[in-house]
Amino acid sequence: MKILVAIKRVVDYNVRVQVKPDGSGVATDGVKMSINPFDEIAIEEALRIKEQGKADEVVVVTIGNSDSQQQLRTAMAMGADRAVLVETDSAVQPLQAAQVLLKIIEEEQPGLVITGKQAIDDDNNQTPQMLATLWNRPQATFASQVEFTGDNKLNVTREVDAGLETIQVELPAVVSTDLRLNEPRFVKLPDIMKAKRKPLETKVLADVAPDLQGQMIEVLSHEAPQPRSKGVMVESVDELINILKDKGLVG
Amino acid sequence: MHPDKLSSLLETELPGMAWSMQPSDLEKFGQDWTRFHDPQAAVVFFPNDIKEVQKIIQVANRHQQVVIPSGGRTGYSAGAVATAGEWVVSMVRFNQISDFNAIDQTVKVGAGVITEQLQHFAEEHGLFYPVDFASAGSSHMAGNIATNAGGIRVLRYGLTRDYVLGLTVVTGAGEILHLNKGLVKNASGLDFRHLFIGSEGILGFVIEAEIKLVSPPPNQAVMLLALSSLDAVMSVFALARGTLQLSSFEFFSDRALKHVMSHRGFDNPFEDLHPFYVLLEFDEDEDQAMHVFESGMESAWVNDGIIAQSIDQAQQLWQYREGISESIAHYTPYKNDISVKISQVPQFMQQLEDVLAAEYPDFETIWFGHIGDGNLHLNILKPESMDTAAFKTQCESVNQHVYGLIDSFAGSISAEHGVGLIKKPFLPYSKSAEEIRLMQQVKQVFDPNNVMNRGKVVD
Ligand SMILES: Cc1cc2nc3c(=O)[nH]c(=O)nc-3n(C[C@H](O)[C@H](O)[C@H](O)COP(=O)(O)OP(=O)(O)OC[C@H]3O[C@@H](n4cnc5c(N)ncnc54)[C@H](O)[C@@H]3O)c2cc1C
Repeated sequence: MKILVAIKRVVDYNVRVQVKPDGSGVATDGVKMSINPFDEIAIEEALRIKEQGKADEVVVVTIGNSDSQQQLRTAMAMGADRAVLVETDSAVQPLQAAQVLLKIIEEEQPGLVITGKQAIDDDNNQTPQMLATLWNRPQATFASQVEFTGDNKLNVTREVDAGLETIQVELPAVVSTDLRLNEPRFVKLPDIMKAKRKPLETKVLADVAPDLQGQMIEVLSHEAPQPRSKGVMVESVDELINILKDKGLVG
Repeated sequence: MHPDKLSSLLETELPGMAWSMQPSDLEKFGQDWTRFHDPQAAVVFFPNDIKEVQKIIQVANRHQQVVIPSGGRTGYSAGAVATAGEWVVSMVRFNQISDFNAIDQTVKVGAGVITEQLQHFAEEHGLFYPVDFASAGSSHMAGNIATNAGGIRVLRYGLTRDYVLGLTVVTGAGEILHLNKGLVKNASGLDFRHLFIGSEGILGFVIEAEIKLVSPPPNQAVMLLALSSLDAVMSVFALARGTLQLSSFEFFSDRALKHVMSHRGFDNPFEDLHPFYVLLEFDEDEDQAMHVFESGMESAWVNDGIIAQSIDQAQQLWQYREGISESIAHYTPYKNDISVKISQVPQFMQQLEDVLAAEYPDFETIWFGHIGDGNLHLNILKPESMDTAAFKTQCESVNQHVYGLIDSFAGSISAEHGVGLIKKPFLPYSKSAEEIRLMQQVKQVFDPNNVMNRGKVVD
């Protein structure tokens, strides 16, 4: 079985994000970029499945500019076998991403697709669901545990508001990962060397999906959140209650 | 002084002052991170401003009472420990950051500002305060100044001393001094600021400091290398220093790693254990990092290596180094914080290994430290069955061998933790009799009645 993992290059989770002065976007010059953390978990899960002998190839794909090669190389250094870059300089909305990924699925015919549940830059949490729908295959989102049952099915434990829910899906399927699924491995330096020799195929977005719908959303401006006013330390619970009463927040 | 007598004295002579004689406060504020003394403070003060500190000093002078400046109490030399009914003065209320000046790239910090608080402040203003170490979430800026704290980026950025542009202090005689006033250049005679930096509370109180911030470095990469031997540590350092723009070069032994793994529940970052590890932080440059790794492998110094792919992973790798002190804290470790010239480190470590094998055959010894600065933290762990006092005595008797060796290398018995109480008996290994006598005389100038942290550093 082949596993396809879709990843995205994003501003590193720990960077204090700054909006460009003209509001046209988020500053990325000289800013540390990484694999979207949920996608890193998706890669890790695919590798673990392969290491258990349940898959024989892990292919990573991303849609992005040429710098995204760096994240694909990292994925291959972690252990992915090959990578596909669908190159574009423009931002892609979830529905478009799902359409592009569907084309890659049609080419690659994976038995399982794993992605992060959302990318931390736009927090859409839509692409895996849309992809499953377009592909007409089952989806198991927010996975915190993935288990093969042996009859071409997966038991997936999902993190939902009420707690944990375990569902069964038939393969091929789309799984999206939650934070607790696994702890991604460190990358060994020798594996970075090896990753340089692994195949990375670059395709042009317009060739992959010529019939793609145009931008459906236009971003008008970006704005930083209003700075929160400073808190005050209170000495006692009584003082806290008094302040809340004064502000009319409690009766 | 009897507690009742003391409290009535304080009520009459220091009216309105916040203080506590609660046993829990006396215990908490009467000690630092060392665990070799029973805390014996008579009272803990919580002054609000410089005038209150001055008043405490005046009253202490009048009654020949010893006062101890207390910061974040993360010190490793028992500098802030009360052992004989001293008055502890906690600076926790001096926690304001103010007067940020973007042109000067300076900011004022109160004595009790937590180191990490300043680091965050700098980051929020697009700047960087580079002094950092595992206790930065608790230590105070004045504590850092009073110990001239070093840490993990000294290699590139220097010590706390290099960031102090101005100091407001109250001397042991109760005089208020504004030292250097934030100037970059100031050639007007003796610069007392530098006497107060690293003075461990024996001259007076640091009340406020003007601190220099710097531009942040470019994106940093973090690499953990597994090494084949102790010799390899400095060979890899020479190689890395010539190739990478290093910010940190830290080392630790396999035993240190094992303690962190079991204490924190971490996995081994590698498949196997290796005798030594070095952690490097440097300006991101994958090709050069690879070059260091491959050359190290070819020379058989390096066995394996990891490079962080995200800031999160970089922080995880740092945990293996920064978690060491905490992971061994419950063994009441006897800490040696020693340094020699960087070029002397290999020979020194070789000879030290022999001394330790001969003198500490039954104790577990943990090696780690800021080895890129020639600074080694050698920790001796107390066997569980052994009494703390007996353990300390035995460690101190071994010191003559270890410190004798340091002396022969013209090194220091305290690289960054200070002298306090713990290292005071051994100061002659690093300072001449003349220097010690002059230190005593300097103390007298600022603190004629010897009320400031009496018994610490020098007599
Ligand atoms: C886990 C851990 C890791 C550490 N790593 C490092 C490291 O890498 N590098 C390093 O240098 N240190 C390190 N330390 C030691 C310690 O954190 C530093 O010495 C720190 O600077 C002490 O600051 P503090 O505020 O806790 O001081 P305290 O322990 O409260 O006091 C230290 C000394 O400063 C004096 N002092 C405190 N406040 C004042 C004041 N306002 N005026 C005058 N004197 C004052 C005290 O009297 C005492 O002598 C580490 C400690 C721990 C627990």
